[in-house]
Amino acid sequence: MAAPVQKADCWRTPEIYKHHEQRKVCISRPKYRDGRKAKAVKVYTINLESRYLMVQGVPAIGVMSELIQRCALYGAIEEYRPLDEYPAEEFTEVYLVKFQKLTSARAAKRHLDEKSFYGGVLHVCYVPEYETVEDTRLKLQDRRRYVIRTCQNIAREREQMREATEEDPKPPDSAPKSEGATKSTDEKHPASVYAPAPSSTGHYLGFPSLPLPPQEDRWYRQNTNQARPSEDRMGSLHDTFTDTAPCDTAPCDTQSTSAGVQRKDRDTRGTPNLASVVRFVPRTTHLENRKRKLEEPRDPLLLLSYDIVGENSPLIGPQLPEPPKLDMEDESLNTTVHQIRDTLKQVASVPANKPAKVKKTKLRRRI
Amino acid sequence: MSRKRSSDRSDRFDYLQTLVTEFQDTDNDEAKEQVLANLANFSYDPKNMEDLRQLQVTDLFLDMLTEDNENFVEFGMGGLCNLSMDRECRDLILESGGIPLVTACLSSRREEIVLSAITTLMNLTTAASRPQVTEVAVVQCMLRFSLSESPRLRNLAGVFLQDCCTEPQVARAEQTMPDGPQTVLGIPLPVDSVP
Repeated sequence: MAAPVQKADCWRTPEIYKHHEQRKVCISRPKYRDGRKAKAVKVYTINLESRYLMVQGVPAIGVMSELIQRCALYGAIEEYRPLDEYPAEEFTEVYLVKFQKLTSARAAKRHLDEKSFYGGVLHVCYVPEYETVEDTRLKLQDRRRYVIRTCQNIAREREQMREATEEDPKPPDSAPKSEGATKSTDEKHPASVYAPAPSSTGHYLGFPSLPLPPQEDRWYRQNTNQARPSEDRMGSLHDTFTDTAPCDTAPCDTQSTSAGVQRKDRDTRGTPNLASVVRFVPRTTHLENRKRKLEEPRDPLLLLSYDIVGENSPLIGPQLPEPPKLDMEDESLNTTVHQIRDTLKQVASVPANKPAKVKKTKLRRRI
Repeated sequence: MSRKRSSDRSDRFDYLQTLVTEFQDTDNDEAKEQVLANLANFSYDPKNMEDLRQLQVTDLFLDMLTEDNENFVEFGMGGLCNLSMDRECRDLILESGGIPLVTACLSSRREEIVLSAITTLMNLTTAASRPQVTEVAVVQCMLRFSLSESPRLRNLAGVFLQDCCTEPQVARAEQTMPDGPQTVLGIPLPVDSVP
């Protein structure tokens, strides 16, 4: 801080911090850890997050209420104001938006950053420097609680999965038995033994003949399956909606034994894994798995929508306005696109024997 | 649903393992930074914590704290900040003697490193570790941070002083605080803002 001495009061000129900057996108990642969205090399921690957002690049054409309405789609807003003192680009304005919840701010940032808005491109970033001490304390407490709760839920869920596996008779295993010894992680982990992974077919699997490193395809699959809420190319989940739902609805009668069994579960799983930290599972195993999975292809887009609805909607709060659509960077063009799309949908749905076409439309919607 | 999740999970474990292996095998600093940032960001998601524990990523992060490359330190510290939210990870870090390593990061010039270190120290506070976490030098350092120009640093140090320390502790630290900046920890105050 080379700035002159200033007292902490709300009237001082807001300062520009490094974390407001947009970092340079990293272009040198190898393919297996290169996500779908261009990202910079940056680590997100709770310290960087905040329910206070700064929105830069708002065209100075009197669209404050529109901006706030747009932000409010992602959760209740407690306060907002223009940051007139903050250095802005010509003909643009900067706003401070304080959400009630961190999760809302996270959703808003994710959906609005780098999106066009009345002809300008928004830059949205967290501004934790506007927090009070109490804000910071609550933020950390919430985070800690969330992590502990989620870990407990995961343990409980695993326990249930284990019980379910024990009740079910073992289904026919399609994997060749000869590999039993090497297929350590899969075999030892009961639930994954018969995981033909109905959802594990990503559209990246279109090149089975490429000599990929053993884990490469798996990552893509995972990335695709988990759809939007999964890690981005930096492995960052900072803009993922926190989701504690999966276990809340499940019966909790197994709670009493969960700790012990979880340990057991970990032990059986942990030993082979630790041993294989340096050593990869032979590629043939993966090829077999992949082949199995290829045999039941499914539309990745369907999975995508399924995941969004199934796993992550409960906690988002207000429903998201729309799935990410083709953005023509212009309101009227977008309206036209929308109309064309509607017409196409109508046309496509009249003759019921044209499933291919229906799919095409869907595909376009999600670009 | 549960089947799907379990297969996702082993996929994820394999992926994380690939990252750790790449990190160990590569000599390319840029790749190392990227992988480290990946791992630190994966540490944000509680779903990954068990896998990361098994892969001993806590120790990997701790190793980074003594690197010369400040990016390594920043990403390692960020990863620890994320992981230490989980109790089991916290215990692992404590077992590995993480407190002095994290405390040393309070003297970093990068604000992001200092912030992660403070949050990590708060996470590492248990009944047993409290005396070590709140030793006089650390409390004095927090007292200085609480006067910082940077609101984030000021706030976080404030939370530390209020939540992790007792009032007599703070009073004692204030009394024994030497005038001027010649204390062991926290020199110089971190710089972050761009003029």
